[in-house]
Amino acid sequence: MQRLLACLLATVIAVPALAQDRATPRLGPVSPPAAQPPSPVQKPTVEADISTRSLEVTTGFTGHEIIVFGAVDNSQAPQEHGGYYDVVVVVEGTPFPVVVRKKSDVAGVWINTSSVTFASVPSYYAIASTRPIEEIAGPPVLERHAIGFQHIKMTPAAGSRGILKDYELAAYRTAVIRLKKAQNLYVIQPKDGVTFTGRSLFRSTIALPANVPVGPLVARTYLFRNGEVISAHIARVTLQRAGIERLVHNFAFVYSMSYGLIAVLIAVASGLLASAYFRRQPA
Amino acid sequence: MNIYLPIAEMSVNVALFLGLGSAVGFLSGLFGVGGGFLLTPLLIFMGVPSAVAVGTGSMQILASSVSGAIAQYRRNNVDVKMGAVLVIGGVIGSVIGVSLMKILRQAGQFDLFVSLSYVTFLGAVGALMMIESLGTLRRSKSGQPSSVRKTGQHSWVHGLPFKMRFHRSKLYISAVPPAMIGAFVGFMAAIMGVGGGFVMVPAMIYLLRVPTSVVIGTSLFQIVFVMAVTTLLQAMQNKAVDVVLALVLILGGVIGAQFGAAAGGRLKGEQLRFMLAALVLLVCLRIGWDLMAKPAEIYSIGPVLGGGF
Repeated sequence: MQRLLACLLATVIAVPALAQDRATPRLGPVSPPAAQPPSPVQKPTVEADISTRSLEVTTGFTGHEIIVFGAVDNSQAPQEHGGYYDVVVVVEGTPFPVVVRKKSDVAGVWINTSSVTFASVPSYYAIASTRPIEEIAGPPVLERHAIGFQHIKMTPAAGSRGILKDYELAAYRTAVIRLKKAQNLYVIQPKDGVTFTGRSLFRSTIALPANVPVGPLVARTYLFRNGEVISAHIARVTLQRAGIERLVHNFAFVYSMSYGLIAVLIAVASGLLASAYFRRQPA
Repeated sequence: MNIYLPIAEMSVNVALFLGLGSAVGFLSGLFGVGGGFLLTPLLIFMGVPSAVAVGTGSMQILASSVSGAIAQYRRNNVDVKMGAVLVIGGVIGSVIGVSLMKILRQAGQFDLFVSLSYVTFLGAVGALMMIESLGTLRRSKSGQPSSVRKTGQHSWVHGLPFKMRFHRSKLYISAVPPAMIGAFVGFMAAIMGVGGGFVMVPAMIYLLRVPTSVVIGTSLFQIVFVMAVTTLLQAMQNKAVDVVLALVLILGGVIGAQFGAAAGGRLKGEQLRFMLAALVLLVCLRIGWDLMAKPAEIYSIGPVLGGGF
């Protein structure tokens, strides 16, 4: 309702500026006045959502594909299928503190000798974009919005940095990114990660791997034009344990003594059952 | 088919882990050993966090030893008094081991400690077994009888206090050495995810001079109780027991052990011991190599584990 009013208001005070936008012939039946195309002077904004609001990690969980889709409101794009705007989608997992350890050769044996604790590191980080992000915007803009692996916010926990020099700390940072990439937890969607359908609709498919850490995920969608963010939108998806998986995990962490006792009982019972079944003659 | 392990927090192929369990079960059936020393390193190699591999290993060993222990008890092959002393020691060792494991995990040195323990024990036991089996093989070839237990021999063990009479073993010795052996084995069990039979059996034979007829039964007796306590402690202190993973491994292990035991019946004892020694040394070399070789990645990441020391 609010948008409808805004549209009407905009049409009233609009100055027809971008002729090319207006020139596009409208097909189909004549729209009612309320559905008139929004005025070009209105700032384009982006809205997005995720195909699933909540994901469940059950015993059969092998990862899940989510679709981040959205629309550019008040799109001024001259032609269909994109090219005018750039859209970047960043899906980030719950941040956790992480210890990074470094091995060195101590008398012929490789031992963890130093470590840095980062107070919060996104457990998962996926980027999808219409073009490679370096082509979309410059480093300062990407840094400001934490877009791209090297711009992920990662600060060492208080007192954990010690006497490390900047370049040494940077080595730890890049190690986190490298290791997370190796675990498929930091991913860049291949070319055409975000595709436009029509002048304003876009979608992006992001495949969450089976080892994605449990916790809420945030999908940040940025609308770029000429290397600047002109609009952004945040959507959330929950990722939680469910079913037997949830039961076992909660039991193990909350009632760990009962869990341990049950584990012992299960072991004894299954051992006895198995030997009764096979009637084996033990050694 | 994939299954998501609730504690290890990873999705694994059930068939693969069933296969792993049955392969280890086959070897343990073949050689008559627990197989923990093979299973735990293999699990770590497959990407299971080392703490979970060790903790879940305890549960698997409990399951695979319980029926054997009961059968031995029924056949009167268990020296219950000796077993009780071993269990008391074992529980103390296990408590120390599980607590040390927690500290080492927080310090980021647990993996190193596990590897070093494996290299040390497997190296020592494997080398001794190899020397012994080569000796027996040579003797059996030249037609000499293999060595028999020398009764009545005394060693430093017999000079210690707290002497107890172990009727079933026909021994009158101090309770200190069996308690120490039990504690040592319990400690190893907690840290390495093994039953410890490969240390306990030779220690009982050579140090305590327990008759061979009761050695296996008594050590199984100790393993069952100590593994039960270790499983419980690992679940409580380290949250390291994955019941789902354990069940998969137990199932595979039971199936594999059937075939292993059948295959073992066709081989000579000396040959089996030689093969086992070779296997133990191979595992030792593999883990040793990983410690010494320059790793492809010198950095590692892990969660920040809460709790103080």
